[in-house]
Amino acid sequence: MVKYVLKRIGLALATAFIILSLTFIMIKLLPPERTTGQESQQIAFYEEQVRLGYAYSFNMEKPELGEYLYKTNGSSGKSTYYYQVPVMKQYGSWLKNIFTKFDWGVSRKINPNVKASVIIGERLGYSIRINILSVLFSVPIGILLGIWAALKKNTMTDHVISTLVMVFISIPSFVLIIFLLLIFGYKLGWVPTKWPNPTDPLSYKILGYILPVFCLSFGSICGYCRFTRAELCEVMESDYLLLARTKGLTKKQAILRHALRNAMVPIVPSILAEFIGILGGSMILEGLYGIPGIGKLFIESLEYKDYNILFVDMAIFTTISLLAGVVLDISYGFIDPRIRMGAKK
Amino acid sequence: MIDNHQDNMTNLTKDDFVLVQKDTKISDKALESKPTTFFKDALKRFRKNRSSVVGAIILGILILLALFVPAISTKNIERTSKSEAFLAPKLFEAGTGFWDGTKKYTRIVYDIVNEVPADYYKPAVLNLKVDEKPTYIDQASKNGKGGFVIFANETKSPDKSVLLSSYPTLFTSSGNYKVQFLLDNEDHVQESVLGEYAVYLTYTDNGTAKRILLKDDSTDYGMIELDISLALQEAGLPEVKGSLSFELKSKENENTYILIKECVFSSNEETENYDELVNQISFTDATKMVLLARDEFQNVPVGYWSCSGRKGVHNSEIYYCDFLYDTYAVAYDAQEVTYAASDLQSYIDQGLCEYDYTIGPESFKKLSDECPIDSVIDQQINSITKKLLSVRANSYRYRKLGYKKMPKFILGTNQNGQDLFKKAFAGLRTSLMLGVCTAAFCFLFGLCWGAISGYFGGNVDIAMERFCDILGGVPWIVIMTLAILHFGNNFITFFLALCLTGWMGTAARTRTQFYRFKGREYVLASRTLGASDGRLIFKHILPNSLGTIVTASVLMIPSTIFSEATLAYLNLGLQGVQAFGVMMSENQQYLQSSPNLVVFPAIIIALMMISFNLFGNGLRDALNPSLKGSE
Repeated sequence: MVKYVLKRIGLALATAFIILSLTFIMIKLLPPERTTGQESQQIAFYEEQVRLGYAYSFNMEKPELGEYLYKTNGSSGKSTYYYQVPVMKQYGSWLKNIFTKFDWGVSRKINPNVKASVIIGERLGYSIRINILSVLFSVPIGILLGIWAALKKNTMTDHVISTLVMVFISIPSFVLIIFLLLIFGYKLGWVPTKWPNPTDPLSYKILGYILPVFCLSFGSICGYCRFTRAELCEVMESDYLLLARTKGLTKKQAILRHALRNAMVPIVPSILAEFIGILGGSMILEGLYGIPGIGKLFIESLEYKDYNILFVDMAIFTTISLLAGVVLDISYGFIDPRIRMGAKK
Repeated sequence: MIDNHQDNMTNLTKDDFVLVQKDTKISDKALESKPTTFFKDALKRFRKNRSSVVGAIILGILILLALFVPAISTKNIERTSKSEAFLAPKLFEAGTGFWDGTKKYTRIVYDIVNEVPADYYKPAVLNLKVDEKPTYIDQASKNGKGGFVIFANETKSPDKSVLLSSYPTLFTSSGNYKVQFLLDNEDHVQESVLGEYAVYLTYTDNGTAKRILLKDDSTDYGMIELDISLALQEAGLPEVKGSLSFELKSKENENTYILIKECVFSSNEETENYDELVNQISFTDATKMVLLARDEFQNVPVGYWSCSGRKGVHNSEIYYCDFLYDTYAVAYDAQEVTYAASDLQSYIDQGLCEYDYTIGPESFKKLSDECPIDSVIDQQINSITKKLLSVRANSYRYRKLGYKKMPKFILGTNQNGQDLFKKAFAGLRTSLMLGVCTAAFCFLFGLCWGAISGYFGGNVDIAMERFCDILGGVPWIVIMTLAILHFGNNFITFFLALCLTGWMGTAARTRTQFYRFKGREYVLASRTLGASDGRLIFKHILPNSLGTIVTASVLMIPSTIFSEATLAYLNLGLQGVQAFGVMMSENQQYLQSSPNLVVFPAIIIALMMISFNLFGNGLRDALNPSLKGSE
């Protein structure tokens, strides 16, 4: 088991490394963004790039290196020219920076010359808070609805729940956000129509959480409900549950002690995986509601062509999705003793 | 029972037994039941699933609309026409109250003079409901009336004065000049208290300002009448050119004010001039008084109060109204439009109207309903050539805009005056095309990949699986973003980038199916008969596993549409074609002012997704009966 876990983690890390390398090269192959802005900021940014090994600086023009990235007119009439380093050399520098210093570079436009890791750290908090709330909210409701539907299988209750779940699972998230925003934000005015400012009073800030948490929860509630219902229905028809009933257990005992425990086997890993997923923000929700999380950061970095930030953001999304997959796989083995992960035939 | 039976048995003789098929040949008979194929059977199963059939019908309608609406509708969705922007959805005639191209406006300031909501086009206002009771505001609005002039002074500051007219008026001792003002005694307005005031007649005598006391410091409120002529007689002056002024005392620790409701001058002198002047410096409507302002040359009107304190209006009456606003009437109604002579000539040539410029506007005769001009108001003639230059005419604007009759936009128009209905379905067509192309490619490629990986197994399988692991580990959003940044957001990029990750689902599913079926006896039997790998794959294994794979591929279409819309919300949308997601994300900013722009597309896409899922579930149950009922 330990061997399997280690192998699985190792494989995920290797995959992450390959993906990030490819992403890095792809981003560096993009035409570099030449910006206008405060000169001191620009110089500081390009000096940092030189320090990290992504750019050269010369005191004269070097046409053989292509077009320069930036040119400063120094006080003594001496100009400094910054040129891009060949992409594969940049890749080498990147490897060195990551493995020796864990240095991901600085932001160019969003928060000029602030370390990318610092910016991510700032933004991550918002995404995590909203996602944790939504998981805490959606898991119990989803599972309870699923259990209810399964226990009342093929009755009116079950049909209503299943139909609603099917409808809400089909509706795209941005459509849901639009309707919730329109009804509860604009028409009824119960909740803010956009993310509150830091200066707003606390009560208003708390109200600001309602809509995003609700939006995020809707999908997962439906997902958990459907999953739980399907699993529980299957377990309810199994022989061992019939045996439990025939040996004299009440329906309640049979369901609580036998059916639910077994039905939870595939559900718990997906909850664990979702807890990993709280690190990643929902891009559309954050964009539409103006939540300053890492999903919004992705949109902003795309808009400003702030590639260092974009890369770190992409790295986070990739790592999270791989990690969630590993946790899902491994936890199956821990929770269900019948499954021997990685066992040979 | 048993006894009976035995009785019968004993009574049987050999003759009781007859051979049924003694001399007949038994040969194979054709089956009397109708033959069925796998797909006929599937169709039968599909038809039984009512919700799937409904889903399929809705889906079919949406697809037909997406195919035909952009082709049939004559509305132009490329041009920008600002005057037609934000028209409301219209299906029925205006005034029917439902889907009639009207927008509901509530609590709009009502213009009492013109009897129309302030700054709205009167003929377009329907179902006007004006509040019965006025609302009181402390602000001078040009649609307000009445109220009080509040003249205020701050705490611990010098006494402030206000001149009731900017130009001195001639008051005589013989003219019986009187002034009547009404002061209100409402206390604690705007966190201040009523103050003590005095009234003077201020005038200049040889360049020095002098004043005559008319009423000493007092806190009398209510109707107050002062006799100016009497005061002049007491002062011994026959006539004075001056203005009436109030002086307001300040207080130690509170702001002070007085409220003046009206102020009326009267005299029995019968000079016209003076009456007029007296009328100008009197006021009965405080709001109008306060609104008097300097004109563009910095001249002040006669009745303007020059004030050293603060003057404002208190409790000005304003009426709010609710109404329906016919947006189409605003955009397309009759208006004066200027037509060039060449335009007019072309209408005459087409036989739509008659016009003779030598006679003039009266000669205009409308011959056909298609003529854009209703009647000519006047004409302009070139002074040198004596030829007609242009005519000013009454015309319906929609005719000028190129419509034959008043247009109707079922879902309204967007911020550029383009038809939302056509735009939505044109966008949906693009999305569907993208979805179908992607699904088809992914189906074919994934099928081949999965078939090879699953059929051959071993090292080939391991290598192919590792490749999928890595490619599948990249979040699709990362791949799409990189592809769009490199190759631009056009249709081909979207197609290729979506295919890059899309095929893996099909491949994985196919691989599992192949593992399931490749060891079956019928495959083994065929292999022992010497069937080639290709024959085994395509003739024996694939047809059995096709049901699940096809269903999954069909469900790829809505997920592609969803991806396109998601990217549009990240500002990475498809450019250069009508795209559904881009349209929705562009309309998003008008969610509050024109919710129809977002709500209708949202309903369309939600309906599409729901019916696709219903259809997909039905298809899965039909193609693979063993999975029936599972989620």
